[in-house]
Amino acid sequence: MPDNVVIGMLGSTLDRGGPDRWRQWRPTVDLCRHEDLLVRRFELLSQPRFRRLAEEIVGDIRTVSPETEVRLHELALADPWDFEQVYGALHDFARGYPFRPEEESYLVHVTTGTHVVQICLFLLTESRDIPGRLLQASPPRRRSDGGPGSCTIIDLDLSKYDRLASRFQRQQREGLSFLKSGIDTRNAGFNRLIERIEQVAIASTAPLLLTGPTGAGKSQLARRVYELKKARRQVEGPFVEVNCATIRGDAAMSALFGHVRGAFTGALQPRPGLLRTADRGVLFLDEIGELGPDEQAMLLRALEDKIFLPVGSDREVRSDFQLIAGTNRDLGQAVRHGRFRDDLLARINLWTFHLPGLRERVEDLEPNLDYELDQWAARHGTRVTFNREARAAFLTFAASAEASWPANFRDFNAAVVRMATLAAGGRVTTAVVEDEIARLRALWAPATADEAEATLRRFLGPGRIETLDRFDRAQLAEVLRVCASAASLSAAGRTLFAVSRQRRTTANDADRLRKYLARFGLDWATVLDRRRAQ
Amino acid sequence: MLTIDGARGEGGGQVLRSALALSLATGTSFRVERMRAGRPKPGLMRQHLTALEAAAAIGEADTEGAVIGARELVFRPRRLRPGAYRFAVGTAGSTGLVLQTILLPLLTAPAPSSLTLEGGTHNPHAPPFDFLAGAFLPLLRRMGARVDARLELAGFYPAGGGRMAVEVAPVRALAPLALVARGAPRRRRARALVSRLPRKIGDRELAVVRSRLGWQDDELEVVVLAEGMAGPGNVLLLEIESQHVTEIVTGFGEVGVRAEAVAEAAVQEARRYLAADVPVGPHLADQLLLPLALAGGGVFRTLPLSRHASTNIDVIRAFLPVSVDVARVGDAAVEVTVRA
Repeated sequence: MPDNVVIGMLGSTLDRGGPDRWRQWRPTVDLCRHEDLLVRRFELLSQPRFRRLAEEIVGDIRTVSPETEVRLHELALADPWDFEQVYGALHDFARGYPFRPEEESYLVHVTTGTHVVQICLFLLTESRDIPGRLLQASPPRRRSDGGPGSCTIIDLDLSKYDRLASRFQRQQREGLSFLKSGIDTRNAGFNRLIERIEQVAIASTAPLLLTGPTGAGKSQLARRVYELKKARRQVEGPFVEVNCATIRGDAAMSALFGHVRGAFTGALQPRPGLLRTADRGVLFLDEIGELGPDEQAMLLRALEDKIFLPVGSDREVRSDFQLIAGTNRDLGQAVRHGRFRDDLLARINLWTFHLPGLRERVEDLEPNLDYELDQWAARHGTRVTFNREARAAFLTFAASAEASWPANFRDFNAAVVRMATLAAGGRVTTAVVEDEIARLRALWAPATADEAEATLRRFLGPGRIETLDRFDRAQLAEVLRVCASAASLSAAGRTLFAVSRQRRTTANDADRLRKYLARFGLDWATVLDRRRAQ
Repeated sequence: MLTIDGARGEGGGQVLRSALALSLATGTSFRVERMRAGRPKPGLMRQHLTALEAAAAIGEADTEGAVIGARELVFRPRRLRPGAYRFAVGTAGSTGLVLQTILLPLLTAPAPSSLTLEGGTHNPHAPPFDFLAGAFLPLLRRMGARVDARLELAGFYPAGGGRMAVEVAPVRALAPLALVARGAPRRRRARALVSRLPRKIGDRELAVVRSRLGWQDDELEVVVLAEGMAGPGNVLLLEIESQHVTEIVTGFGEVGVRAEAVAEAAVQEARRYLAADVPVGPHLADQLLLPLALAGGGVFRTLPLSRHASTNIDVIRAFLPVSVDVARVGDAAVEVTVRA
């Protein structure tokens, strides 16, 4: 068992000297009188002007506790109520002290000394500059009983307290559920992603970068991150959201950074700008890849120095905000093409999270359906329910390869809203679902011819298409469309050869697909690469 | 290995101290389980650790579980090593309790020892120096022991800071002791010790002794202890010397307790002893059991046994092949007989 070493300040009021001292409760001496606490060493901090008292106290400790070695340390404190001075002196002491936590157990006595001394000892213990536990002494219930009173050891390591640990777990679970808007998502990859985002969002004020296709939920997630931080009292300012694609050109500078009156024609009133508005809050810049070069330069400065220059102003203004950036473009490629500053990208992709599209999360269709129905009920005050066949029919279609959900959850949400609107008596029937499936097919079909072109261009690059026969184009486009949303090469193979694989005993669909793609100079890694670049 | 239930009987430090003394004297290893299990702060406390460390030193013993709060501990003595020792005892422990642990084994050691014990010499709940030197040691000497104790400095609770020196010479074997009657009264004396407190406290205590026991002025004395004492303190010692035995009753002065109340409690105890017409009072009975057991015989009459005494009897039976019989004698007395 490690030896107990107490570190404490001489209490110039409580640790009395003089002839009557044995009738008093004296925290420093009485700590060494406890039958169940053996203090092997006492590092007694004192001020030079209390030297006589300190020596008397040292003598008394030796008498009542021959087991205790007392070392007196003098700290020159001109004003023991001055935080800076006291913290500095105690910090110096802690830094110079040869702690041996494996052999000795340190107890930091916080009953004596000025309140400032006690606070500083607490802070140094909490920050682990002193690797110990707090020790708090209390007088005996009856002053006259001559006993040493009681003492309590307080370990600030919160993880050692079971009930507190479960409280933190609960809080974390609540945080995760909060980030998922209460949707009980089942996709393991997505759940891991949210867990990581929760950790980072709570622990860091560095920029977050959310990537992923349109409608994957970037904007909603950014808002939830803000609300979580606000609930944990980590931000005080507002949530400010802007889609950079909507503020191109001259207006962008002014919208983001503000302007002064008369900065340009029509600038009749000064405008603070979105960065300024987001001070002490969160700024969500969606489609950050759409920002122009001037705005990128100014944003970089605002992130690095927390200051920037409004349009027409020669006075810099300050704003301290956390940036969340969203993009569905490959910013790395944008940097290579000179469209995005590499230093800005380096600044914002410290924490990058890729939000998968709906087709990569088919397990989450059902919980999202329930969520959308709950949202409907909350907005309209009436509940809409699916009958069992209708629900099964819709979910089967939603998960099928045919359903491309190009706008991901935005499309999904629209489909549910339409069905809910058309549900007579709040009941979605098979007929309503069939109508909706037909509507979705029609919606997606006209795009198909163009979409085939677009798919080929996306995966092959524009020049290659013209070298292909029309005969091959249609088939390759369909193959790539499946590849675009498949979890792996094998999964894509299973979908494409679903009919013939039922007749064969060995399934080498992946190999067939690989060979087919190779004919067009494609492999799975390239497919993934281009997918991400969407 | 011998196993002792630490929660049995008195269930406190006495079990451990008696076991340590007998273990050293007989060379028997033992294990204690459930050490002070029923106490508010269970397990080994500092004063017990001090006694354990002293015992381990004179017996070159190996110990397991010698830490604060331990519920189980093992003590394996190798051989007695007489010599010069200095043991410093913290505030709550008493030098008397440490002496109680190591004195008897050292009596049986092959060479003399010289002990310096520092700490409390007059602590409540422990035999004060005057009782050891004036009542207990004379009986040990009658059994053949050669032992002398000298108080160099009194140490009162809570400051401590006292010192006693004890010289022990070996004896081949202790002789049995028979103590069934006090014999004729010889002398009585009341002393009020006062350290760093007003002398009046002693005067008031002695006034109670005079009026309640009828003792004469020349039998009453206030002893004001010289400077050099660590802390304040006061005890009232009532010494009753008879032909065959001297008993000493102690009252401990306490902060917040009137001097008259301290004296009255001591007077009550003295009256019970005098009325019972037995030679041995309750505290002396606690102390005598172990030497009689080690001597392999003896008999004494005393007041009904305390829990300390019955606990000692249990521990003795565990270590030694002796019988201890307790028989009632009259209304308020018992006769304790120890036989090999």
